[in-house]
Amino acid sequence: MRKPKPLQKVRRYLITALILAIFCFPLYWAIINSIKTPLDTFAGSWIPFLQFKPTVANWTEELGNWETRRALSNSAIVSVCSTGIVLCIGTLAAFSLASFKFHKMKNQDITIWFLSQRVMPPVVFIVPFFMLMRSLKLIDTLYALILINVTFTLPFAVIIMQESFRGIPTELTDAALVDGASYGQIFYKIALPLASGGLIAVGIICLAMVWNEFIFALSLSYDQATLMPVLIAGAEHTRGVQFWYVAVRVLLTISLPMIIALFVQRYLVRGLTLGAVKG
Amino acid sequence: MRKVTIGIAVLLIVGLAATMAWGYTFTPQQKELFLKAGMTPERQAYVKTKPYKGITITVAVNTAGREGPIAGPLYMFGELWGEQTGGKVKVVEIPYAECFEKFWIDCLTGTGKYDSVMAGAFWVGQLVEDNYIIPIDKFMKDPRFPQWDTATCSPALKTLRTWGEEWYAVPNDCDGQILYYRKDILNNPDYKKGFWEKYGYEMPVPPSTWDELKDIAEYFNGWDWDNDGKVDYGISMHLKVGGQGMFHFESMSAPYLISPVNSNLWWFDPETMKPLITSPGHVEALKTLVALRDCGPRAALSWSLGEAWDCFLRGDAVFCFTWGDLGSLAQDETKSVVRGKLGCSALPGTFKSYDPASGKWITFKRPNVVGNTTGGSWAGVISAFSKHPEATYDFLSFMATKEANFWNACTGWTGVDPGRTFVFIEPYGPAKVESYVASDWNAEDANEYTIGFYKNFYSSLMYPYMRIPGTVEYDTALDVHLSEAVTGTCSPEEALQRTYDEWERTTERLGRDEQIKLYQKAIGYTK
Amino acid sequence: MKKNQIKFAFLLPAVVWVLAFTIFPLIYSVRLSFFSYRLGRGETFVGGRNFVQAFTYPRFWGSLQTTFSIVLVAVGIEILLGLLFAWHFNREVQGDKVFRTLITLPLFATPVAVGYLGITLFYETSGPINMILSLFNIHVPWLSHPFWAKVSVILLDVWIWTPFCFLVFLAGFHTISEEIYEAAYMDTNSELQIFRHITLPLLLPVMGIVIALRLVEAFKVFDVPYSLLLGGPGTSTEVYPLLVYRTALKNFDFGSASALSLILLAIVMCIVIIFFRQLRKVYE
Repeated sequence: MRKPKPLQKVRRYLITALILAIFCFPLYWAIINSIKTPLDTFAGSWIPFLQFKPTVANWTEELGNWETRRALSNSAIVSVCSTGIVLCIGTLAAFSLASFKFHKMKNQDITIWFLSQRVMPPVVFIVPFFMLMRSLKLIDTLYALILINVTFTLPFAVIIMQESFRGIPTELTDAALVDGASYGQIFYKIALPLASGGLIAVGIICLAMVWNEFIFALSLSYDQATLMPVLIAGAEHTRGVQFWYVAVRVLLTISLPMIIALFVQRYLVRGLTLGAVKG
Repeated sequence: MRKVTIGIAVLLIVGLAATMAWGYTFTPQQKELFLKAGMTPERQAYVKTKPYKGITITVAVNTAGREGPIAGPLYMFGELWGEQTGGKVKVVEIPYAECFEKFWIDCLTGTGKYDSVMAGAFWVGQLVEDNYIIPIDKFMKDPRFPQWDTATCSPALKTLRTWGEEWYAVPNDCDGQILYYRKDILNNPDYKKGFWEKYGYEMPVPPSTWDELKDIAEYFNGWDWDNDGKVDYGISMHLKVGGQGMFHFESMSAPYLISPVNSNLWWFDPETMKPLITSPGHVEALKTLVALRDCGPRAALSWSLGEAWDCFLRGDAVFCFTWGDLGSLAQDETKSVVRGKLGCSALPGTFKSYDPASGKWITFKRPNVVGNTTGGSWAGVISAFSKHPEATYDFLSFMATKEANFWNACTGWTGVDPGRTFVFIEPYGPAKVESYVASDWNAEDANEYTIGFYKNFYSSLMYPYMRIPGTVEYDTALDVHLSEAVTGTCSPEEALQRTYDEWERTTERLGRDEQIKLYQKAIGYTK
Repeated sequence: MKKNQIKFAFLLPAVVWVLAFTIFPLIYSVRLSFFSYRLGRGETFVGGRNFVQAFTYPRFWGSLQTTFSIVLVAVGIEILLGLLFAWHFNREVQGDKVFRTLITLPLFATPVAVGYLGITLFYETSGPINMILSLFNIHVPWLSHPFWAKVSVILLDVWIWTPFCFLVFLAGFHTISEEIYEAAYMDTNSELQIFRHITLPLLLPVMGIVIALRLVEAFKVFDVPYSLLLGGPGTSTEVYPLLVYRTALKNFDFGSASALSLILLAIVMCIVIIFFRQLRKVYE
C-alpha cells in the first residue's frame, strides 16, 4: 500500500481527533454534570473549576443511598448468575453442534433456530412473562430476571461458542477418542481449554448484554429486584428529571460494560454479528 | 487502561465508604412540638406501652429522595414516630410513572409488601372498588388515635379523602392549583401604560379571565422587563408527555364548562358515559392553551414541573399557574429571586361557559371562576393486605396532626401543600402570619398565598375531580393528545377527537355499565 | 454412553430451556390475544376483537410509521458513517488500536442511560448542543418539536450503533486482499473510483448482514425513546414496543397487548425470512 504524504497524515489525524471528540463528548458531559450543583446544571457551564466549582456531593449522596447500592449489587448478581448459567448450558450445546452431525434436523437448521430466538423482539414476551412470573410468585425477584436473561442470551452464546469449537482440529479429538477418553473428558479437558479465548469473550459480552437489559427489568421488578437501568429511570420524579443524580447513575451504569468492552476487542466483530462476519 | 480501572475502583470505594444518612433534621424544639401534638391522656397511656415495638411498616411513595417532595417528610416523621411508639417506618420510593401500577400489582398478587402508599386521590376509586385498601372510620373513632380532626378538612378536600360514605385516606397533602404572578412587574406604572396603549384597556391585576391573562402574558413575552440582561417570558408552563401537563389543562378549562348551571359535567355524559371532551367548551379551552404556549418559552413543551417552576423562580416569567409548592419554594432565596414579589389568586375565569346538558353557551356579566382540587393530594391509604393496619394508621395520623401538617405546609421542599383549615391566616382561618414568618416566609407572600388558596378551596363552584377506575388511563390519553395539540402535530379539535376515541376504548374495555354506575356515584348524579 | 445419546444430552438443556421460555409464553400469548383480560377480574372470550381494535387504532399505525422512519433513517446514517470511518481507518496507522477501542465504547453503553444523557445533551435552553449552535445563531427545538424529537432519537441511536457498523465494515475491508488494490492502482489513481468499483462491491455481502441485523435489532428500540421523551411530544417518538409496553403494563390491557405483540412478531418474521435466507449460507 502506498505511503500517505505528510499533509494527508495531518489531515487524517485531524479527522480522527474530530470523530473522537464528537463520540466522546456525551461521556464528558455526563462526567461534568455529575460534579455540578443543581443550579450549575441549569446554567450550562462547560469547564470545571473555571466556570463552576465542582462538588462530589452528588456522588457521595448517590452512593450513600442504600437503594443505589442495592441496585448495583442486584445488577451484579443478575449479570454474573445469568452469564454463568449461559456459559454452562451454552458451551455444552455448542460443543454438541460443533462435533456431532445431526440428521433429522441438520446442524445449521438448529443454529438458525437459535439465531431466530435471538432475533425476537423482547417486548413480545412482556405480557406472558409477567403472567408466568405472577403465577410462579416470582415477580420482583432476581430469579425471574435471571431466568429471562438466560433465555435471551443463551442463543447468542451457542452460536459464538460453536464457532470457537469448530476451530479445534479434529485430529486432537480423534486421537483422544482412540486413547479411550469419553466425550465428557474431551469436552472438559481438550475443547474447553482450547476455546477459552472465545469463552471469555462470550462471557464478557453476555455480561454486558444482561447488565444493559431494560425492558424486562422494568416490567418484572418494582422494589426488591430493581436493577441499575431501572434505577436511572427512577431519578425522574414528580418534579422532573434531576440531571445531577441522573448523571451519577448514568456513569455508574455505563462504566462497567464500557470497561469490560476494553477487553474483548478481538472477538467483538464476530460476537456482534452473531458469527456472520469473521473479524 | 489499568489506571482507568483503578481510578474507578477508588471512586467506588470512596463512595461506598461515604455511607451516611442525608437530609433535613428537626431541631429539638420541633421534635418536642410534634411529639406532643394531638396528645390526649388516653393516647399518652397508649404510647407509653410502646405498642409497636418490633413492627416495621412499609410505606410506598413517589421517588423523590430524602429531601424531596412527599417522600422526604416520611423519613423524618418516621424516625420521630419511632421514638414515640417504638415502631419503625421503611420508606420505599417508586418512580412517579410506575408508582400506582407497582402498588396495585402488590395488592393483586396479595403480597402485602406495602402497608401503605402515599396515594394520589385519583387512585382511590380503583383501589376501593378492587378492595385493595381499607376504610379508616373505625380507627378515627378509636380514642387511642386522636391526632387529627375531620373538621380541619374543607368540604372540597373531604370529598377527596372519602369514597361513598367512608374515609379512606389520612389527610396529608392538599393539592389545588392557583395563579402566581409577579406583583412588582404587573404593578409597574410604565408597563401599565404600555399595556393600555397596546390593548386599549387597563391591565387588570390579577387578571380575572383567561383572555385577559393571555393578553398580559403576550404583552410581557419576549423582552427583558426586569433588566437582568436576559429575555423574559409571559407565562411558564410545562407540557412534556408524562409530566402532568393534563392536570393544568383540566383546572384551566374548568370555567369553560363548569358554571352555576352545570356544576359537575366535565368528563362524561353520566347516562351514556360518552366523553364530553370534544365539546365546544373544551375546544375553546384548548385553543386558549395553545395561544398561551406562544406567550412563553418554546422549550416549555419539553419541560416537566421542575423546569417550569425554575423558570418562574429565576424571575423569567410573569405568570405560572400551578400547585402550592411554588409559593413555598419561592421563599428560598438561594433558588428564587421572587421572594416578596409574589402575587397569588385563584385561577382566572371566563365570561362564557358551555353547558353540555343544553348544548348552549351561557354568558356572564362577571367572570365565572371555578376552584379546583386538581392534583394528587398525596395522602396515605392502608393496604388491605397490610399485617399492621393499626400501626400504619397511627403513623399516618402522626403526620396529620395540626402541628406536623402546618410545618409541612409552610416548608417548601416537603411538597405538602396547604389546605387544612388551620393553615389560613386571619380572617380566613386561625393561623397567624407570624407563624409563617417564623418558618422563613415573607409576610406579604404568606398572606397572598393563603388567601389565594382559601379562595380556591372555598369557591362555590369546584372542578369535578375524577376518581373512578381508569382515571389514570383517561388522564394519560389526554396528556399525550394535549401534547400533540400544543406542538402543532394536529389541530385542537383533532387532538380532542383522538382523546375522545381513546376514552371510548377505555370505557368499553372496563365495561360501560359498570363505569356509568361508578361515575354517577362519584359525581352524585341522580335522574 | 453412546455417541448418539451424548450429543443429545449435551444439546438438550439449551434447547429445552429456550423452548420452555419462548414457545410456551408465545402459545399463552396467542391464547390471550383472543380474550379481554382484566387483572384480578378474570377473562372473557372476545374472538378477533383485539386484532380488529389494533388495526383500527390510529396510534397503532402511527407507531409503526414512527418505528420505520426512525429505523430506516438511523440505519442509513449508521451505515454511511460506518463506511466512511472504516474507509478512513482502513490503513494501519499509529494509534489505530486506541481509536478502535475508544470508539467501541458507545456500543456497550446502557441504552437507558444514553436516553437520560440525551435529555441533558439536547436540553434546549442551556444544553451543550444548543449552546454551540447558538454561536451560529441557530436554535433547534430538539425535544419540543415533533420532527426534531425524532431527530434526537435518531442521533442517539447513531451514537450507539455507528461503531458497530464501523467495526464490521473494517473487518470486511481487511478481508479484501492487497493484491486487488495493487492491481487497481495500476489503472487509476482516483481513490473514489477504486472505492466505487472495487471496495464497495466486495463489501456488499457484509453490508447485507449489517442491514439485516440492524433492522431486526431496530424493532427492539425501546430504551432510548422511553427514557428520552416517553414517546412525546404527542406521539411523535412513540415506537411500537413503547405502545405495546404502555398497553400491557400501564393500562393492563393484556389482550390487546398480546395482539399487538403477535402482529410485531409477524412483521419481524417476514424480515427474518427475507434476509436470513441469505444469512443462512454464511452458516453452512
